[in-house]
Amino acid sequence: MIQVGRTDSELILISGMDDAQLLDFMKKNAISLKVDEARRAAGLIGRNPTITELHIFNIQWSEHSSYKSSRPVLKTLPTKAPNVILGPVEDSGIVELGVINGEKYGIVVSHESHNHPSQVVPYEGAATGVGGIIRDVLCMGAKVIATADPLRFGNPNGKEKNRVKYIANEVINGIAGYGNAVGIPNIAGDIYFNESFDENCLVNVVCLGILKEKDIIHSYAPKNSEGYDIIVVGKATDNSGFGGAAFASLVMDEDAKDSNRGAVQVPDPFLKNVIIRATYRVFEEAKKKKVALGFKDMGAGGIMCASSELCSDADMGADIDLDRVHTSMDIPEFMIINSETQERFTWISPPSFTPRILEIYNEEFELPNVAEKARASVVGKVTKAQDYVIRHKGKVVCNVPIKAITSGIRYDREAKEPKRSLKEPKLKEPKDYGKAILSVLSHPNVASKARCYNHYDKNVLGNAVIESGQADAGLIKAVDGSKYGIALSVDNNPRYGRISPYYGAANAVAESMRNVAAIGAIPSALTDCLNFGNPEKPESFWDFKEAVKGVKEAAEGINLYRTKYPVPIISGNVSFYNESKSGKSIDPSPVIACIGVMKDYSKAISMKLRKKNSILFLVGKRKDELGGSVYYELNGELGKNVPKADFKAEKAMVYSVIECVGKRLLLSCHDISDGGLAACISEMILGGNTDGKIGAEMDIGFSKLPVSKTLFSESSGFVFEADEKKVPMILRIMKKYGIMPIILGKTIEDGRLIIKNKSNKIADVRIADLKDAWTAGFGRALG
Amino acid sequence: MKKPNIAVMYFPGNNCETETLKAVKAAGMNGMIVRWNTKLNLSEFDGYIIPGGWAYEDRIRAGAIAAKDPVMNAIRKEAGKGKPVLGICNGAQVLIETGLVPGLKDKVEMALAPNINPFISGYYNTWVRVKNVGRKGAFTNALGKDEVLHLPIAHGEGRFVTRDKSLIKTLEKNNQIIFQYCDENGKVSDKFPITPNGSTMAIAAISNKKGNVMAIMPHPERAIFERQVPYSAKTDKKTDNIRIFESMKNYILKK
Repeated sequence: MIQVGRTDSELILISGMDDAQLLDFMKKNAISLKVDEARRAAGLIGRNPTITELHIFNIQWSEHSSYKSSRPVLKTLPTKAPNVILGPVEDSGIVELGVINGEKYGIVVSHESHNHPSQVVPYEGAATGVGGIIRDVLCMGAKVIATADPLRFGNPNGKEKNRVKYIANEVINGIAGYGNAVGIPNIAGDIYFNESFDENCLVNVVCLGILKEKDIIHSYAPKNSEGYDIIVVGKATDNSGFGGAAFASLVMDEDAKDSNRGAVQVPDPFLKNVIIRATYRVFEEAKKKKVALGFKDMGAGGIMCASSELCSDADMGADIDLDRVHTSMDIPEFMIINSETQERFTWISPPSFTPRILEIYNEEFELPNVAEKARASVVGKVTKAQDYVIRHKGKVVCNVPIKAITSGIRYDREAKEPKRSLKEPKLKEPKDYGKAILSVLSHPNVASKARCYNHYDKNVLGNAVIESGQADAGLIKAVDGSKYGIALSVDNNPRYGRISPYYGAANAVAESMRNVAAIGAIPSALTDCLNFGNPEKPESFWDFKEAVKGVKEAAEGINLYRTKYPVPIISGNVSFYNESKSGKSIDPSPVIACIGVMKDYSKAISMKLRKKNSILFLVGKRKDELGGSVYYELNGELGKNVPKADFKAEKAMVYSVIECVGKRLLLSCHDISDGGLAACISEMILGGNTDGKIGAEMDIGFSKLPVSKTLFSESSGFVFEADEKKVPMILRIMKKYGIMPIILGKTIEDGRLIIKNKSNKIADVRIADLKDAWTAGFGRALG
Repeated sequence: MKKPNIAVMYFPGNNCETETLKAVKAAGMNGMIVRWNTKLNLSEFDGYIIPGGWAYEDRIRAGAIAAKDPVMNAIRKEAGKGKPVLGICNGAQVLIETGLVPGLKDKVEMALAPNINPFISGYYNTWVRVKNVGRKGAFTNALGKDEVLHLPIAHGEGRFVTRDKSLIKTLEKNNQIIFQYCDENGKVSDKFPITPNGSTMAIAAISNKKGNVMAIMPHPERAIFERQVPYSAKTDKKTDNIRIFESMKNYILKK
């Protein structure tokens, strides 16, 4: 045991520097701590820090790693419900799927962002985003079964259009390049374009895994694990991604882009493919031998973050020898410990099981022959003393109380409501409603994203039941030999957030639940990836707080099916500092994912119309809520009247639809969102694969709004198709929930969309024209 | 009767081995996933499947490195004894790179070139239809002549090409063209989107001359159950694609 706080390294005499000198020193060493933060770190250590220690605090106290601005606000979110197996405390959250053959199964969910790296080097940035999220899910002991990607790009026709198109294409290629090679199906996602993302795209990613509750491996060392081995497995450590967490916590400086490139990690999906399989083998073996292990992804902060959190969360310390870490280049000690080299994990294993882990990775799966110098190496021991000790070339280069590293810091940020000058436009009714429908359908935010998701592997693993694009949510088979399905949908409309961050968030929660309900699954949990501007600016922080309130109240207002509990938020991420170089924030973007459970996937339905002469229903009142709508955008307006999610009404709609699908009463169903009722019915005609042949005839005479508002208002709702014989049963169920559905019209053999207003025909569009408009818009934005 | 035992190979980078093994079992065979560095005696298996993915990261060319892996020599030997070998997607690329398909000369005679697709360049995942145009072979004996299958493709390099133009004629004459892309009604066309990758003569699968080694670009193993097929009933009923694997079983049992 070494003396508390003793180090052999040169100390950085920050106590002797004035603020300007200290700032200068840190800048030269690429440390972005504030001056008072550096002094506070020295106080916690009890002496001046070594350079390694200063780098450690730089990463651990970055916004990305410490949630220093967001944590007090995040605490208000509802995270508890009877179906929560693990809330947002470890690398992923876990929600109950159900009990199958006497075993309780959990769905592992993680939701992250990779925004800044993707803006700088979009292919690698997006690819490593996928790589990182897969590790988060795998390290819980789960089988990785699906991913989804919510993406936000700038205006493809605006002043940054060339860069925007380049980034959009490269991000999509990067996601495909990584996810396809690893072999995890991409089952959901959404894409929005607008100018607020011109200089700061958003690349979020969601990943799902499946496990039995009893097989969870925690992100902390087991009990009484003194003397256990700390094992680093994967790619040889290099200088890539050094300081990535700190980079994610800064406003991007266009001029510093080159120096930031080093902070982007280099993806290797090929190596990951092999590591995943080898890791499944370790899981099996550990289960067989009933060995308790700790396991953690190595992302932000590399070996340091993984090993310190694994040990600290078990009230233990760590003693690590950097000479035992497999590296691929000669790099300084603070880089070895903090580098964010991809495709690595840390295991905590009892010495008796360590040889087996090494054998599986190094011999059975031959990591050293799969990628140069890749392997599993024992790099240190878990200690009883709660210190974090790092040795390098025989010297102690870091020796700090471990809790000082892991307990982070907090800021109470000021929030101030920004001035928003909003007004409702007075638009003339369009002369030709058919044309107006086609222009809404070809808007890139509404148009079919087939060109994107057909570049992703949607059916590898053979578990997809509903693929991307076929319905409002993706659905996968959960467990062999059972009919349980897992649904996934992601949502957030940034233009709603521009008008009201509260309703932007609340609508995203409500819509993600409607999406899951539309296929018949029960919304069981939510995750949130909160993408905002600079939290040090009171206006941006106000937006953030409002959005969190929106998530909270929506989750609490639309309860978990047949309970009084909220729909729990089980995982999430905060990404701040998303703004342009001129300091303009992106639209407040709380991206929500909803995880749905379906006991019997054979009941699932899609959005595509199934047969002629069936009845088309509408639920959800059409309101004068076109603020942030596609229709207003096409008219150059933002508007003011954003859709206001009414939680009681949402709950009634969502749960009545689920009940109807569960009783096999509906043929198809689609949620009303971007582009309103007109886009909704058009998409049902086309079907995701745009091979639909059944038309629709509807009358909007029920509405007191002007025709354009009835057709294009994005007020929430559903349109569904049902056989005439099922109508009485549907009405009975709807009545139970206090809903009076409107009969819109019927499906027709003729391949057209016919819209009437009090029996006067106001639009008559051929399917071929709907198809051309809907399939062209997104390609134009990319091309 | 003893169930045939199939080796589903895993080269580093493959990613379709799990669902391929499920298809093998759904067809009433036994099987296991066999790693590239296995110590098992491969001759003890009754048949072999090289699944999809990115074997050896597709370094140099898709399938090129795996084709040189020592286990492929063992598989070549077993193929020579008449045992069935199926290469799916990346596995098809491996079989082409070994020269086992079309296998007329002792060298690589064809290539699977990058897709030509006006819609998406590179990797393309969509659903297609293929028609059984070959004779009753090791992988088609349970299928009707001209039967149409509905299944996904998922590749960036699936365009069968040949430098020697007369080779295609020979393949036709030898009945080595097994599946061609077609429309819902079975009409073959080499035009997009019916042929999704620009493949010569709409070829989706070809075999060696004996018919016991087949390279197929689409993924039958991903569409074995109805629930896996878009817009179909979400049941666990088997689709016609299972008959490719059942054919393999019949072939082994008859031998």
